[in-house]
Amino acid sequence: MRALHTAATGMMAQELNVQVIANNMANMRTTGYKRQRAEFQDLLYQQMRRGGTQTSTQGNILPAGLELGAGVKTVGTPRIMSQGNLLPTEKDLDVAIRGEGFFRILLPDGRTAYTRDGSFEMDAQGRLTTAQGNVVQPGITFPQNAHDIQINVQGQVYATVGTETNPTLLGQIELSMFVNKAGLQAIGDNLYLETPASGPPQNGTPNTDGYGDLQQGNLEQANVEPVKEISDLIAAQRAYEMNSKVISACNEMLSATANLTR
Amino acid sequence: MENNLLVGLSRQMALQREMDVIANNIANVATAGYKADGNVFEQYIDPVARSDRFAAPDQHLSFVLDRASWHDMSPGPLQATGNPLDVAIDGNAFLAVQTPNGERYTRNGALQINAQGTLVTGEGYAVLGEGGPITFQQGDRDIVVNREGTITVREGNNIPEAQRGKLRLVSFAQPGQLRKDGSSLFAAPAGMAPQADTTASVVQGAIEKSNVSAVTQMTRMIEVTRSYTHVAGLLQQQSDLRRTAIERLADVPA
Repeated sequence: MRALHTAATGMMAQELNVQVIANNMANMRTTGYKRQRAEFQDLLYQQMRRGGTQTSTQGNILPAGLELGAGVKTVGTPRIMSQGNLLPTEKDLDVAIRGEGFFRILLPDGRTAYTRDGSFEMDAQGRLTTAQGNVVQPGITFPQNAHDIQINVQGQVYATVGTETNPTLLGQIELSMFVNKAGLQAIGDNLYLETPASGPPQNGTPNTDGYGDLQQGNLEQANVEPVKEISDLIAAQRAYEMNSKVISACNEMLSATANLTR
Repeated sequence: MENNLLVGLSRQMALQREMDVIANNIANVATAGYKADGNVFEQYIDPVARSDRFAAPDQHLSFVLDRASWHDMSPGPLQATGNPLDVAIDGNAFLAVQTPNGERYTRNGALQINAQGTLVTGEGYAVLGEGGPITFQQGDRDIVVNREGTITVREGNNIPEAQRGKLRLVSFAQPGQLRKDGSSLFAAPAGMAPQADTTASVVQGAIEKSNVSAVTQMTRMIEVTRSYTHVAGLLQQQSDLRRTAIERLADVPA
């Protein structure tokens, strides 16, 4: 019975939907997290009778065909790359991006990753790193006796060194932009990798050409909206239940057939 | 002739088809832009098994035939998503999509941008504007789609807006005759040309959900299950009747 398998595709799709919602909810308080959404499309159709075929030699045509659908498929889980709210932290190495860009991070294996999480730290060598210890690109090193770190909206990093009165320019934070941000591959640790779908990165300085400006002492919160996730969860759960009812109805029909031969 | 068995069988086969359609509707209860299907049944009268010569003439034998399925083209509810690349159509129009098999039409407005900056569907097919596919440039932001479907962006830090194209909205005289092509797409059968639509408007930041009414589908499902069991009961009774007849009639008196 086809309906049995059709309902199974429905249950599988809703299970995946709940999984995506669960991940969004779990990352509700993750800095720089971008929520995902499961997108569904109908699966192929079997044309039992094709509409528009002639039913007589007089030229009568079938106004509507007989189509049987085979269920649902998940087409993707694109990320919604909207801006998250900024949370003031008053920590001088916390930087939030207000705009389109991503920070560039050097991974230990030599690859470049991209992130929206600007909760930076300083390592033992004085380099600017992520909370995981990966170096922010282009590298910025603070001298031993640097204090009063200032990062302006253009990404220029200043610090007062020793007993000097004027702050020294230590470096420039750059941002990268993609044509299709939603096509980036998430690898965990709030990091993304470039893919053929995202297109190559374009590097530039903050506060120019739409890269977005930097906000020191702020962190970008996740763009998850709890109300929306909960209502989606309810809808997904009910859809799952309904599909399971179809399966039990099919079961009942099949058992009626099986009981014909006594 | 055991016609009643065959009549019952025709009903059961039609019910199974209907169950298939209901299962597909319920599986797509969360698919954006999905349009529900329904079945049309027809009474098929068998002319061969008739004879008027008897005092009480034969009754017409009518079998059930599932003639066609139809699409319920009513609009689905709009869900606000706030995503600038989600568009819903208020009206009867469709978005035109370029696929390898030719032009297709969809109501699923969950759009994306690909690596080349082209506006595409979730499957990666280009969404057609009035002058072909719509392409964005690197650094485009604040995408705005107005009610007519015109897409404007802000380039970089520039305040003036740049136009990127206008979504092509088309409608059909008889949308019920569109063929479903999977992947939320509809295909126009030969001889059915899309017309430019001027009445429909585009709603940005919203998605048209599936128009499947869960309650209706559930009740139909119960109805189908019950009728199926009922027909199975009839067939069973018929089988019993025949068995008794064989036993009684073929019984040789001692």
